[in-house]
Amino acid sequence: MKTYSLIAALVCAAIFSMTIGEASVKTGNAVVVPVKNDPTVCFRIWFKVGSQNDPAGKEGLASITAAMLTHGSTLKNSYEQILEKLYPLAAAYDATVSAEMTVIYGRVHKDNLGEYYPLFLDAMMAPAFSQQDLDRIKSQTLNYLENTLRYSSDEELGKAVLYNAIFAGTPYGHITSGLVSSVKSITLEDVRSFYKIYFTKENLVIGLGGGYNAALLSRLEKDMGKLPAGKPRPVDPPAPAPIRGFRATIVEKDAPATAISMGVPIDILRGSKDWYALAIANSWFGEHRNSSSHLYQVIREARGLNYGDYSYIENFPEAGRRTVPPQNVCRRKQIFEIWIRPVPPEAGHFALRAALREYNHLVENGLTKEQFSLTQKFLKKYLLNYAPTTMARLGYAIDDSFYGIPGSHLAQFRSMVGTLTLADVNRAVKKHLHYGAMEIVVVAKDAKGLHDELVNDLPSPITYRTKKPEAVQSEDREIAVFPVKLAPEDVTVVPVTEIFR
Amino acid sequence: MKTINAGLCLLLLAGSSAMAETILPYKVHTAVLPNGLKVITIPMESPGLVAYYSVVRTGSRDEVESGKSGFAHFFEHMMFRGTRKNPGPVYDSIVTSIGASANAFTSDDITAYHLNFAVEDLEKVIEVESDRFQNLHYELPAFQTESGAIYGEYRKGVTNPFEVLDERVRDLAFDVHTYKHTTIGFERDIKAMPEAYDYSLGFFKRFYRPENVVILVVGDVKPDAVLKLVRKYYSGWQKGYEPSSVQQEPPQKAERTGTVTYPGKTLPILDMAFKGDAFDPANTDFVAATVFGDLAFGETSDIYKKLYIQEQRVDELQASIPLQRDMPLFEIVARIKKDEDIPLIQDEVLKTVASFQTTPVDAQRLAGVKKRRRYEFLMNLDTPDRVAGRLAYFVAITGGIDAVDAYYTALAKVTPEDVMKAAKKYFVPERRTIVVLKGEAK
Repeated sequence: MKTYSLIAALVCAAIFSMTIGEASVKTGNAVVVPVKNDPTVCFRIWFKVGSQNDPAGKEGLASITAAMLTHGSTLKNSYEQILEKLYPLAAAYDATVSAEMTVIYGRVHKDNLGEYYPLFLDAMMAPAFSQQDLDRIKSQTLNYLENTLRYSSDEELGKAVLYNAIFAGTPYGHITSGLVSSVKSITLEDVRSFYKIYFTKENLVIGLGGGYNAALLSRLEKDMGKLPAGKPRPVDPPAPAPIRGFRATIVEKDAPATAISMGVPIDILRGSKDWYALAIANSWFGEHRNSSSHLYQVIREARGLNYGDYSYIENFPEAGRRTVPPQNVCRRKQIFEIWIRPVPPEAGHFALRAALREYNHLVENGLTKEQFSLTQKFLKKYLLNYAPTTMARLGYAIDDSFYGIPGSHLAQFRSMVGTLTLADVNRAVKKHLHYGAMEIVVVAKDAKGLHDELVNDLPSPITYRTKKPEAVQSEDREIAVFPVKLAPEDVTVVPVTEIFR
Repeated sequence: MKTINAGLCLLLLAGSSAMAETILPYKVHTAVLPNGLKVITIPMESPGLVAYYSVVRTGSRDEVESGKSGFAHFFEHMMFRGTRKNPGPVYDSIVTSIGASANAFTSDDITAYHLNFAVEDLEKVIEVESDRFQNLHYELPAFQTESGAIYGEYRKGVTNPFEVLDERVRDLAFDVHTYKHTTIGFERDIKAMPEAYDYSLGFFKRFYRPENVVILVVGDVKPDAVLKLVRKYYSGWQKGYEPSSVQQEPPQKAERTGTVTYPGKTLPILDMAFKGDAFDPANTDFVAATVFGDLAFGETSDIYKKLYIQEQRVDELQASIPLQRDMPLFEIVARIKKDEDIPLIQDEVLKTVASFQTTPVDAQRLAGVKKRRRYEFLMNLDTPDRVAGRLAYFVAITGGIDAVDAYYTALAKVTPEDVMKAAKKYFVPERRTIVVLKGEAK
């Protein structure tokens, strides 16, 4: 069993600190999270570019450029050769692209660092930009827009349409994948010039974590410093048009169920005292993928209308695939968002009303003492689950850099949970959330029927296949006529084939 | 659909012991209570955090009664409806107050309930978990309400073409074995769930018994303390497990083919499924098959380079060789860009299989797969939840984690000839079911 011993020694050394907010250090142009006994090394290289920098008519360019770096050939190796070299290392590299950030990340076992490092570096420093790679990546993007997003996930579709509607006319006004027509128009020349402007040594922050040594950090800083100089022109934070009253977009498609997303911009970002207060209220109202979510209790637990119901005060892409918040999707403008997972078509209007009624209640009344106290207890420990790995903690450290948070956001969050009072939380709710204005997106089969119901504010009584307790029935009668006023000009019906064109 | 990776990482887990006798890098402490409940405790450095898994060795595989597909998963939901002592809302508020990340999952061979929490709450967790496993209690209305949530889960998944395809492939490939249906179940059975209250009570009595459950505790814990608490709270749990009479699938005689229409727009998807073998580390053919998938169709394979990178006729190509309790399907799946290329891709896949049946794979490539498995394992042992989550499948399939050792040892010994033999044994027409999915919308 000799072969096992070496591996065993390495694994036994795999001591990972789960301590939240363990010191991340900012040195020069780098953010580091050293974890001495971690047998792996984590990289996150943040380039200050995202879909907000896509030129008009070339929406999707930031995303495609990042994919050309991480899923394409380099000057030294073809894409096939790269895959062959990475495969035995059980390592890879990839990119996350959001409105404001592109982060090239990867993780490798220390044993394989020597083979991995040059490949990782080449991806950013020496891309080949081959036509064959571009064709493949464009084709995948188009398949995502035309087939996957339009047809196979009504939840993601609803969220995408919501963000596009709220931020229309601003640099946030399109999803990172872009539009069918703009993606089709992207050429190698577009990719080359985008890369030249934004992938410069003055436009990046190095993130390094795990069991690396000081020499690696110096080498990485030196190597990344070989990128050309260049400071791209900053983009102003988006100023979405104010939403007055309720506005709805109904995406018409042959959907087996009705998916609902809604939201409204908020004027607050992570780091301020009020943000943490609002985060406590939001956790009570709709903690993601958690039965402690009040919306979940009302819509799923008591009524069995769907699989889950949650709310957010920060962008939370690919929510169906995650249990805790993602990193490196920072934004200078956030929305308050409610996500109602697909409900039976006949319950769509009712579920919309139920969610708005609860939201109204939150805005009017805030949390009770008991709700606040339970949420405080919950978050104090639950926050440990937000960053259990070195990679996640490095992600948070980069985000701290984005938001200019000295120290650690998660440590601050935990500390605030212990010190903020119920009054602080309810004051923040009153100040930052307002009832009466909301952008609503519904993905539904009978769009015309729903349109008529909405503009006439028709009652939406609910029937169940089985009897519900009197308390639920009585509340149902109130929900069924809860007023949600929408003028005909505020409700738009869009066929799914028209979306993302 | 369970992929091979999680399972194989686990095997490597087996291969990394500090001690020759125990392959796992962490010391494993196993105990069995007089009522048959097995407790596996694995201490690891994870300051203050614990993963607690209750692994029920029952999944959709056990749904032998007609009209009851999807029930194991439905029952997983019902386990959150509480007991007389801790009704659902009380259970929820306890879990909330300790800030635990709590959830559950079901697949063919397993239903697992898991919580991640701070070690100071260990006794509270054992108290509430043991309570619901012994004293689950719910009334008819709660049962019927939960069936709505299940339907909601079905609805959110049914828009995914791969789920539509999986349902069709299983149904066509199997005649009598319960792998014929997916874990979520047939829609007609989900619709009928509200009527099955009495059946659900029987389900609990038959399967939620100590001999059919394994408690897996990983993290910052002391085995003696864990065992003491488990004894305190689970000793009164009565035996009574009644294994399902799962019918084994008779040998298939000829190739089966079918199509399925996806009610939306999608690129066509080709699924070539072959009847494999159940998980068995002593079966060299099976162990060799688990590396065949990557060697023949993985991202360093010739066919992947040709069809995905160079000619770009497919935008997805992968093989899945699952580790399961009974005979599973070994699948090769390709999403194809043009309808007219479907026969060509099918032909390419079969040509690849044929070449592996006649030519031994390059030894260096085989060594590369073994190396990859080892490092995949090493890199994914970083939290108690990841360790426990990987072990849970092995516990469900075999009842413990001893087989992990045997499996990894066998994997290390696989030769190019073994791979060739496995290709010849499994990937043949009389084990084959081919299904093509196409979208309705153009």
